[in-house]
Amino acid sequence: MNNAILTVVGLAIAIASADARSQADAAVKDKAQTCAACHGPNGNSTDPQYPILAGQTARYIFLELRDFKAGRRHDPQMDPMAGNLTPDDMLALGDYFSKQTKAPNGFNADGGKVALGAKKSDEVLCTMCHGGGFLGQNEIPRVAGQHYTYIKKQLADFKARRRTNDAGNMTSVAGTLSDADIENLAQYLANL
Amino acid sequence: MNHRITIAVTAVAFALGVADVGAQETGAATTSAKPMSGNLTSISDVMLQNAASDPKNWIHPNGNYANTRYYPGAQITAANVGKLTPKFVFQTAVLESMETAPIVINGVMFLTTSFNHVYAIDATTGEEFWHYKHKMGPITTFCCGPNNRGVAVSGDTLYMGTLDAKLVALDAKTGKVLWEKQIADPDKGYSETMAPAVVDGKVLIGTNGGEYGIRGFVKAYDAKTGELLWTFYTIPEKSEGDWAVNDLTGRNMHRNIDAEKAAYAKDSSFYQTLGGGVWMTPAVDLKTRTVFFVAGNPSPDLYGAIRPGDNLYTNSMVAVDLDKGTYKWHSQYIAHDVWDLDAVSPVILTQAKDASGKMVDVAIHGGKTGHVYVHERGTGKLVRFSEAMIPQENMWVLPTKEGARMLPGANGGVEWSPMAINPKLRMAYAANLHQPMTYHVEESPYPGGSKLWLGGAFKVIPSEQQWGRLVAVNIDTGKVAWGAKTPQPLIGGVLATAGDLVFNGEANGWFKAFDARNGKELWKYNCGAGVNAPAVSYMVNGKQYVAVAAGGNVQIDAKRGNSVFVFALP
Repeated sequence: MNNAILTVVGLAIAIASADARSQADAAVKDKAQTCAACHGPNGNSTDPQYPILAGQTARYIFLELRDFKAGRRHDPQMDPMAGNLTPDDMLALGDYFSKQTKAPNGFNADGGKVALGAKKSDEVLCTMCHGGGFLGQNEIPRVAGQHYTYIKKQLADFKARRRTNDAGNMTSVAGTLSDADIENLAQYLANL
Repeated sequence: MNHRITIAVTAVAFALGVADVGAQETGAATTSAKPMSGNLTSISDVMLQNAASDPKNWIHPNGNYANTRYYPGAQITAANVGKLTPKFVFQTAVLESMETAPIVINGVMFLTTSFNHVYAIDATTGEEFWHYKHKMGPITTFCCGPNNRGVAVSGDTLYMGTLDAKLVALDAKTGKVLWEKQIADPDKGYSETMAPAVVDGKVLIGTNGGEYGIRGFVKAYDAKTGELLWTFYTIPEKSEGDWAVNDLTGRNMHRNIDAEKAAYAKDSSFYQTLGGGVWMTPAVDLKTRTVFFVAGNPSPDLYGAIRPGDNLYTNSMVAVDLDKGTYKWHSQYIAHDVWDLDAVSPVILTQAKDASGKMVDVAIHGGKTGHVYVHERGTGKLVRFSEAMIPQENMWVLPTKEGARMLPGANGGVEWSPMAINPKLRMAYAANLHQPMTYHVEESPYPGGSKLWLGGAFKVIPSEQQWGRLVAVNIDTGKVAWGAKTPQPLIGGVLATAGDLVFNGEANGWFKAFDARNGKELWKYNCGAGVNAPAVSYMVNGKQYVAVAAGGNVQIDAKRGNSVFVFALP
């Protein structure tokens, strides 16, 4: 095969795969529209009880959707939503939301609580798992700039064992947090 | 793939806006495309074997097969190190933790970054020859940052382990991929951060994943073809061991042996998820054709009831046959560990006096416990352990839900940081942490490999100060010869030189030189970001250079950077 033919074949492969990709992109955008009702356009929710998905790690979104469907994590609204998704849908949605740009959450933080939250975060070694700047890595979620209301609820749920799908790590971490610690951490993280 | 087709596909990909640009990069990834230096030579087996006496090159991550990190050149000495100045700073495109030990061949340096980028640069000017960026697979699972600790070299080929658990062979001249092999399944918690070792045509590589319920291993691949030659599992099917009551130093570990025996009799199938990662470069003794490494913590880290027994060969130094990968011996520091005080810092092969005063071949390890352990190299028998290099308190109190205080904290002692040896002075140099912590246990079944599985948590104690300590230990006596306290915990590793110097970096950006004989600080330079990587040294055109990465660290959240600093005398 000469180089000219190789070049044409290369272009054809690239264009064909780009076509397939754009079809897949359109399909996932349709699915993501369903999420937008609660999670906002492009995953930037405005109602603080629903987590911001824009900029979240793809792996975390995939695993949480899988856990909702399998019954390892429960939420009255998410359980039926995830129940209809295939593993490919979950992967595609994770990928889609991870690539959206996170918008500011509009939270007005209390400076004193933010400082106390930062101190508590150092003590609990949060960034050893959640990464520098709390940007997340792989299955460990980004929590920087997440909604205050949502963070507070998750920490309380981990502590009370209402949420148990993380192999016990966060239950152990939250087990010694006081209500004030949870308030301060939520203020600190929402303010990042 | 043919070059032309590659260019065509790449061009179209860029045009369609689907280029694989990692979020970690800002701006252009490459500064120049200077033609590769004609001085780059092929690395023969003989060169690899004689690296310990070659001041020109640094061709093993830890200097030589014995991992001594002892540079044989002595142009820079205690008398002149005060004049050391930066010659250039090479900035990579990746602003994230750097743990790389650069390889230097005839004035060409190969360095790696987080997310598996490799750069080839001029080791005297910093000019870039090529830049390789690994195309990461869709699934990665790793606990403690997207780290990489460097490449290995043999012939004209570089070898790198990747976060998506592959072994990649690159052409050293061009940075082009020669072959790739999937080592293990990243969906099950496997990843690679270590620099491999290459010996006699074999690439030796272990695995990360002790926090995800993997089954640890060391594998040997054919360096030319990538064919798998052997696998040694660090977790045998029968992992119960001798039901050790005490640790290797004789301290009671408060195990409930009866309960463990009953649980083990019911179910011992957990060996498949028992951990035992090997994530630092092994040492090799070609005389006896033996590979030495340490195996890390059992999974889950803090919850032991689910994995009764000694959990062999976790937390052990292990020796295996180089040609067949078969077991020779092991020596376990902490059986049934529930503190993550495991064995990580690479094994060093050297000589030391035995109990009768006779100089013998030994294998040594700096532990998270804060001891340097000296073993007979042929049998693994413990010759001695050093005085504690950092405070030890309340050992071995069992973790509780509320948290039990014990020193050292879970990062050590000596973390992954490679130690260095000065054989003339009879000393080992170890970078230590002091991080007072409480240990918390949480019952948690195996979550399927895709999630962090600690079985609890570690928390630092805010009222207690954290610090670091660079310590020199006399390996013939186990006595601490000197210690230099630092304001922050130390992670990164040490370089010793024949100029009787010790180089070590700190999280606050300081890179320092000490008198190897007495610990006197002789020189320092602030790199502006955490120096949490081991330094290397080499010589080009008669001038000795010292290079170190300053990229910060995830584990202790040291300030991130993206640079390799290179120093020399004026």
